[in-house]
Amino acid sequence: MHAKRTPLWIFANILKWILLGTLLGLSLLPLLWLFVSSLRTNLELQISPFGWPAKIQWVNYVKALSMASLPRLLLNSVVVAVCAVIVNSLVTSMAAFILSREHFKGRDVIYTILTAGVLVPVISFMVPYFSLITHTGLYNTLTALIFVYTAVNIPVSIFLVTAFMKSIPKELEEAAIIDGCGFFKRFTKIILPLSRSGLVTAATFCFIYSWNEFLMAMLLTSSIESRTIQLGIKFFSSQFITDYSSMYAAVIITIIPSVAGYIFLHDKIIGGLTAGGVKG
Amino acid sequence: MQALAPRDRTNWAGRILFLLPVSLFFFFFFVYPFFFTVFTSFTSWRGIGGMKFNGLANYKKLIMDATFRKALGNNIIWALCQGFIQVPLACLVAIILVRKPKGWKFLRTVYYLPNVISTVALAMVWVAIYNVNGPLNAILGTLFGMESRNWLGNPDTALFAVIFQTVIYIGYFMIVLLASAMNISQSLYEAAQIDGASTLQQEFSITLPMLRGTLVTTMTLAMAYGMRHFESTFLMTGGGPAYATTTMGIDLYLKMDALRYSEASTAGVFLILLGTVVITVLRKLFGKSDPMSEMAQ
Repeated sequence: MHAKRTPLWIFANILKWILLGTLLGLSLLPLLWLFVSSLRTNLELQISPFGWPAKIQWVNYVKALSMASLPRLLLNSVVVAVCAVIVNSLVTSMAAFILSREHFKGRDVIYTILTAGVLVPVISFMVPYFSLITHTGLYNTLTALIFVYTAVNIPVSIFLVTAFMKSIPKELEEAAIIDGCGFFKRFTKIILPLSRSGLVTAATFCFIYSWNEFLMAMLLTSSIESRTIQLGIKFFSSQFITDYSSMYAAVIITIIPSVAGYIFLHDKIIGGLTAGGVKG
Repeated sequence: MQALAPRDRTNWAGRILFLLPVSLFFFFFFVYPFFFTVFTSFTSWRGIGGMKFNGLANYKKLIMDATFRKALGNNIIWALCQGFIQVPLACLVAIILVRKPKGWKFLRTVYYLPNVISTVALAMVWVAIYNVNGPLNAILGTLFGMESRNWLGNPDTALFAVIFQTVIYIGYFMIVLLASAMNISQSLYEAAQIDGASTLQQEFSITLPMLRGTLVTTMTLAMAYGMRHFESTFLMTGGGPAYATTTMGIDLYLKMDALRYSEASTAGVFLILLGTVVITVLRKLFGKSDPMSEMAQ
């Protein structure tokens, strides 16, 4: 830095690090507190909300996993999130291929309408979603959640994947056409493999959303056979109201997939967030 | 060879086939729900039985509804706090991080972390933090000798408490602003330095004006999110105590839960309408921005 170390500079610098440190604390300490609490005994938790466990209680995790419902709820969440990601990636990559590589009248209108979906507050659709899902006989099924999560993520995925496919040089495709590649082969052999990175970004957003979603899961399911883990820790926790430490252990188990995914893919996630932000 | 390309370029069957799945999803989960919501808002309908057209009765009822008014007021407070506290704070952090202090990449990554963790889990932690015997009271008691209070149980502090915890979500706006700030040409700063401008002067005369477009976009989005806020409040307080923290989304949910479907739809129309108003008004006031190219997470 070129700035001179005047008293004002030192003061501003201290303020700067206080701000950055406070925000760092707010981002990390709640999680750290949750993790430490999940390793303490209930008695320790009652005596003081703070403090390290006298003896690390991994048994809380065993107890959490042996809660009758937890493995089933976790499995449901995995099925819903994985299926939503697969269906979403499939349908959006097909549409994005047309919206990025084909030229015809009305293409940009379709693109604008599809991506404008991000501006719609989906919570205002509670009544129609409930009505639609009930009338199609999908109430209280995992399929209902897979459909809703796939659909809600379409605007974001279309935006990300189309932008990525647009960046693929035309020459590659032209060479393929000369080699005799038809419409489908251009998609499966050229564009799809080249846009893997963009698809991974879109899939990550879809997975995080589907794994964490709460409202629609509450609205559209009613029994353990089709409820997801988020509902589990919200509602089933009341059954274990005296056993806070096991409950915290259960919560830690549920956030592991998203945190692990974030640690591995944070560059892609941040890249995806800024794909649209750099315009302005 | 010549014949291949033109025929291929006009493969309409393929185009339609490829656009069809997305269009179907979009129709059933965006277009149909929109018209369904608008339509049922003009009827009396309780989920079962027929729909009877009743004009603007639901709208009149909703405008006079004390709970909905309270919710609307809270949503406006939410929108203002998001737009005028959350985004400026995110902007301040972005301006600091764009100078690449030690560990800026790590900080950027960690600040976004809460956004990938489920609201259910974080709401549970914040309920524990705000608890009478919780860490917050312990800290305030030790540092300032403050009396323990029930932050979420007291109507005077509950709204403040649920809004405060959203400070952990600044990461999204910060990342968008940071990316925009990184795009500012370095030569502008070099020229300013030669002219003897201090760091602070540079931020005010270069960074902020150059960020204007992105700032408008992020503020618009933040306020639109404020209008549709639902999840963390619902999970922390359920809208209570005594409707102190309720929002339009929570009101909609509770009305639907009470089988007042058409009133819930009317609240839904309000939600869509007010979100659109926020976006349109801000665009008119502050000039063009492109919220469509931003994403919602």
